[in-house]
Amino acid sequence: MNIAIRINDLNFAHPGGSVPALERVSLTISTGESVALLGPSGAGKTTLLALLDGRLQGWRGRVSVLGAPLDPDQPPPRASRPDTGFVFQEFALVERSTVLRNVLNGRLGRMAPLRALLGSPTPHDLDIARTALTDCGIADLAERRVDSLSGGQRQRVAIARCLAQEPRLILADEPVSNLDPTRAGEVLALLTGAAQARGATALFSSHQPDLARRFAQRIIGMRDGRIAFDVPTSELNDDATAELYREVEPLPGLSLRAVS
Amino acid sequence: MQFGGFGGFVTSALIAGAILWSFATTDVELSRLVSAGPRIADFLGRMFPPDPTVMAEIRKGSAETLRIAILGSLGAVILSIPLAILASETMVSPAVFRPIRTLLAFIRAIPLILVAMLMVGAVGLGPLPGIIAVAFHATGMLAKFYAEAIDGVSRAPIAALESAGAGPLVRLRYAIWPQMAPVVARDTIFRFELNLRESLILGIVGAGGIGFYIQTYVRSFQYDKAASVTMAVVAMVIAIEAINVALRRRFT
Repeated sequence: MNIAIRINDLNFAHPGGSVPALERVSLTISTGESVALLGPSGAGKTTLLALLDGRLQGWRGRVSVLGAPLDPDQPPPRASRPDTGFVFQEFALVERSTVLRNVLNGRLGRMAPLRALLGSPTPHDLDIARTALTDCGIADLAERRVDSLSGGQRQRVAIARCLAQEPRLILADEPVSNLDPTRAGEVLALLTGAAQARGATALFSSHQPDLARRFAQRIIGMRDGRIAFDVPTSELNDDATAELYREVEPLPGLSLRAVS
Repeated sequence: MQFGGFGGFVTSALIAGAILWSFATTDVELSRLVSAGPRIADFLGRMFPPDPTVMAEIRKGSAETLRIAILGSLGAVILSIPLAILASETMVSPAVFRPIRTLLAFIRAIPLILVAMLMVGAVGLGPLPGIIAVAFHATGMLAKFYAEAIDGVSRAPIAALESAGAGPLVRLRYAIWPQMAPVVARDTIFRFELNLRESLILGIVGAGGIGFYIQTYVRSFQYDKAASVTMAVVAMVIAIEAINVALRRRFT
């Protein structure tokens, strides 16, 4: 079986941060898997995803993505970046541009540099963008400006942009935390379904256990920068989930004296 | 700002000192102002009625001033685009943007009229030194404004394009430019208004435009003609401001 992500003993602290953001993280994800990262805010989910996207440097350990080792000191070569698609929590769209333009932005890394700068997509680029729009159910919004869309529509545009990259790995950081429960389910179904249809690996973070259960085959629980558990979805038990979200113990210096 | 305590006393003393020093060391003879009364009246009297026969000169001078402002602004925009990128905190390293920002501050510090005088010396009389002077002077402000516009946009879409494999110039074109375009339009219109206002007087140092006629008529004691040109200048400034207010409303 092919390996999409392999992480060995990964450690990372944000510059100037005293506590490690990631501590002794090791995991392997096979090609085509759909995996959820579950855990409370500050567990290290966003950090891990950004690191896998090549946007963080200065970590220790060994990480390889889609068969190529990441360099802890410099971003990955630009040519390899479209292979990893990223869906952001806050959508990260260009608000004043049209939906189609935003989706075509996902093609920029695949175009020849001069063509990208001049902004003349080939018919092939347009084809892929249109297909991504259709797959995301927003073909009719192509000419609308993003700042006129709702949150659910925006996240669909962001997913279409990611798909236009033709990624082999899709990373999504809290892709539905800004959406109401109905939209959240629809968008996650779209994201994991599109990944599956393309044979791509999907790794998304969430702080909602029920959503993770519904859309992932495997769930990795994170807390305080460490992996708390890593199980197939069918084996996820409520105790482990509850433990993940257990209230953080107050710091010694701030602790209130027990009343009893 | 508060003026209390010792700091307040020192501030007041300094301001009072500056005023007294100016009075004491300048030849301000109020008696001269009083005795000059009839002369001033005569001077103003000779401005009226303004001579309407200079319409042709006004038209020619205004058109030239407008051309200086348009071409000077165009030059400033062209110079400002690369300089703004080099002065942007988010596009280049501090080793690049710090010296460029200092350079722009120097350019801004040189008054337009001074640049125009130097340019007249360098390339001779006419509108060309005016155009060069306006382009040079305006770049100091415009490149700074553009750089601030680049640095002021939302970072998230830029990170998204970087993640998709887009290079720095492509990110500037598709993630930064769409966000900064309205700011650039507003700043450019604002600078054009300033350029037009400031180039009205460039003719006084021989750098072309309507100012040339004011200078000529005042020096040759044709105050009625000078008055007509002055009124035309005032009308132009008011018109520019009205147009700019209308345009700015459209871009915000």
